[in-house]
Amino acid sequence: MKRVVSVSLGSSRRDHEVVVELLGERFEISRKGVDGDFNRALDLLKELDGNVDAIGLGGIDVYLYVKQKRYAVSDGLKLMDAVKKTPVVDGSGLKNTLEREVVRILARETDLLKKGTRVLMVSSVDRFGMAEALSEIGCDTVFGDLIFTAGIPYPISTVDELEDLANRLLPEIAKMPFHMIYPTGRKQETQDEEKVKKFAKYYYDADVVAGDFHLIRRFMPGGMDGRTVLTNTTTRDDIDFLKEKGVGVLVTTTPEYGGRSFGTNVMEAVLVAILGKPWDEITPGDYLDLLQKVDFRPRILNLT
Amino acid sequence: MATHGEITESLKAFADSFNKNERLKIMNKDWDRVVLIKANDIESQHTMTLKNGVVSLKEGAADNPDLTVISDSETLADIFYGDISPTEPYNNGTLKIMGTEDDIIRLDFISLMIWGE
Repeated sequence: MKRVVSVSLGSSRRDHEVVVELLGERFEISRKGVDGDFNRALDLLKELDGNVDAIGLGGIDVYLYVKQKRYAVSDGLKLMDAVKKTPVVDGSGLKNTLEREVVRILARETDLLKKGTRVLMVSSVDRFGMAEALSEIGCDTVFGDLIFTAGIPYPISTVDELEDLANRLLPEIAKMPFHMIYPTGRKQETQDEEKVKKFAKYYYDADVVAGDFHLIRRFMPGGMDGRTVLTNTTTRDDIDFLKEKGVGVLVTTTPEYGGRSFGTNVMEAVLVAILGKPWDEITPGDYLDLLQKVDFRPRILNLT
Repeated sequence: MATHGEITESLKAFADSFNKNERLKIMNKDWDRVVLIKANDIESQHTMTLKNGVVSLKEGAADNPDLTVISDSETLADIFYGDISPTEPYNNGTLKIMGTEDDIIRLDFISLMIWGE
């Protein structure tokens, strides 16, 4: 049996472990949160290095892709550098492939996404593939990176402007302590009440709210009135939270194992363990082939 | 070491760039803040006020600033001229910013929007 472990800067309350069979091979997949404790994450990574088949890094991005450009997040790199033997991934490679594909599947096979659908992406520089795919199918998308990361009430409405701002800001933002730009640890279990009120209109103006679950959760107002959420990592508690807020449909880009969808970092680590190739030699085509072989499909859950 | 006059000029360049940037003015219409900029190696204090998306500048200290930016004169002049970004001096402790975390992030974004490439 292969072992894949995700080390997350997020809350340990989301820890989970399952055994699944993929392409005839059994995988023990587990997620270990360190409650925002960076040094604990480093220690755990060193402990796992060489003792598991692949490691995923959760609750943090290491690489942010903006079209052909790649920006490395300093804190993410520090974690990645702690692992010397075992393949370690942050999910960004898979996000760029899988999430593009999920948007296309939803547009082709459901009426959740179509030309003119109003979408709020709470953050998009961490999933540029999804942003581009939404734009390609003609969704009326607001990219909320400045709103929800910097508190600047400026909705970005085109991929071109998103790209311009990302290239301007990311080289420096990527050097900032990660906790300043993304909710880690306990912040993942609470809401920023002031900003929930201040930015509620962006949620209400959308048919679909997409992007990172922790950001979606931190700022989501009540009265979501049947709207759709498109994200990846959710637990049973998260689903209860979304129901309480009135969300109608939950789509997760990764499949459900044992009642929850794991983060893309976990799924990418699984794929890397199956492929058995060095991470930097894996192409988007490798991921796409494998996704088809294992029949990865978005999970669509009606919450009403 | 930079002089008080050089810091003043760098802040004027920063304020001019902000006020000429229509996108930045729209972005920050909701953010009325008073920022004290203080050198720790020479006598130099300035107050930058953001109100209705417009930046104004005066020499001397404000009574109750929302944010206080402290560094050596050279670093302050370099940052406000856009020769260096604030991230590295902030991370290595050369630059100290006192205020809420939200305000600090926002000020950082503004400077990157002005000078970032």
